[in-house]
Amino acid sequence: MTAASITCTDLTIRFPVYGADAKSLKKALARAVAVGGALGRHAGVTDVTALENVNLQLKAGDRLGLIGHNGSGKTTLLRALSGAYEPDEGSIEVTGRIASLLDLSLGIDPSATGYENIRLRCRIGGMSSKQIDARMDEIAEFTGLGPFLSMPVKTYSAGMKGRVAFAAATAVECDVLLMDEWIAVGDADFQKIAHKRLLKLVERAGILVLATHEAPLLKLYCNKVMKLEAGVASEIVDIRKLDQLLES
Amino acid sequence: METATHMLRTGQRGALFQFQMALRDLRNSFQRIGLAWSLAWHDVASRYRGSVLGPFWITLSMGLMVLGIGFLYASLFDLPLHQFLPYVALGIVFFGVLTGTINEGCDTFVLASGMLSQTSLPMLTFVWRTVFRNVINLGHHLVIVIAMLTYYSYWPTANVPLALLGVVLMVLNASWMSLMAAIASARYRDIPQIVVSVMQFAMFMTPVFWMPSRFGKHQIFLDLNPFYHLLQAVRAPLLGQPVQAQSYLVLIAMAVVGWLVTFAIFARTRRRLVHYL
Repeated sequence: MTAASITCTDLTIRFPVYGADAKSLKKALARAVAVGGALGRHAGVTDVTALENVNLQLKAGDRLGLIGHNGSGKTTLLRALSGAYEPDEGSIEVTGRIASLLDLSLGIDPSATGYENIRLRCRIGGMSSKQIDARMDEIAEFTGLGPFLSMPVKTYSAGMKGRVAFAAATAVECDVLLMDEWIAVGDADFQKIAHKRLLKLVERAGILVLATHEAPLLKLYCNKVMKLEAGVASEIVDIRKLDQLLES
Repeated sequence: METATHMLRTGQRGALFQFQMALRDLRNSFQRIGLAWSLAWHDVASRYRGSVLGPFWITLSMGLMVLGIGFLYASLFDLPLHQFLPYVALGIVFFGVLTGTINEGCDTFVLASGMLSQTSLPMLTFVWRTVFRNVINLGHHLVIVIAMLTYYSYWPTANVPLALLGVVLMVLNASWMSLMAAIASARYRDIPQIVVSVMQFAMFMTPVFWMPSRFGKHQIFLDLNPFYHLLQAVRAPLLGQPVQAQSYLVLIAMAVVGWLVTFAIFARTRRRLVHYL
């Protein structure tokens, strides 16, 4: 197996923003008729540059923290690294199995039972049915929900839901782990074991990229940090220079 | 884990590159075809969760509809039951595959937006999910088809291999239409309404409930109706009737041209699809 790595070269991502208007066929047709072809179609779409010329090079062992205000492009960068968003300019190259924990509720079906949801989430994450069977007991034990796992997830409290989602999402083995914000999951007890599990995952994963606002978490999990401002990235600096970066 | 360990995404590099990326999406979706099956089964199971009969509601509700319409129309048109009931049963069941796959195609990408915006799962996986879901439904409906053909003893004359070929052609054609509907609906939110109306209109214009022999001099409208050929290719062999060679020609040409055009549109819009949602 090759070592995990991430390389972004001059990565630029623009969002076409289709207004509520542009999604209506009538409006699009009306414009095309009235103004004619290309110009008409262009009028409905506004481009927003979410990331501009981001250069990034990470190798196994790097744990990068992303900081920046809301809307600075942290989530967009994570989504681009997950392969969902494609660059408009430049390139992204990722070696290694990617696991994205951007949204814990990904693929959770409220009417299905806890077991079924774990199964579904692990299938989406790339595990085969056999692999899931083999690890189900371990995952179930980790949630600490016992017999409740046979009940529909919609009957769970928010904390219980979080436990299931977290347990399933972190069961998938990966080399590159992408995480968005720290989603506080469960009660104090669960926080503690969740923390342990994440540390283990971070150790096992070659690379971690974590977006968060909380400095203590950054210091806990990351060894490098990068600041995004309106889509423009700072240099990657050592975590010890975090305070300087926050002030600048 | 069988997922790719290498991912490369680059900026626009022209049409050929986009086409290659679309092909890669197709290849990856086949490599993980099991995921599409799992999702489709999950959809079917969760729809009937908590009900006593479970997915057999699919069979039961279809059975009731077939009997109701069968008896009603047979007496309205003054047709013998042994001829009309199997005819209308097969018509409703197989036309249902077409409407289901195409109508549900409208939701394919819209419902998957959560997964599409944070993973590199192939987009076509979700198209196969919709197609498989309808194939699973068809599996439940087959009980009715088999019951009808057995009760009215059509088996000696039925040409099952030819009907299977018809099913394959039907699924091949329905799946490109489904993908087309999925792309268009993601971009324009009026499309699902249009698709539903068109499919409803098509159901009445196609000999699902009525015999084509009643069409008389308007035969041209039948020959121009692609859904007629799709339905004929499956229904006629099971009822022991011949299928015109012309129908196969239409179906194969439609599958090839339809897939080429739809795939070209998919290649062109693929990188933008996630932003439409």
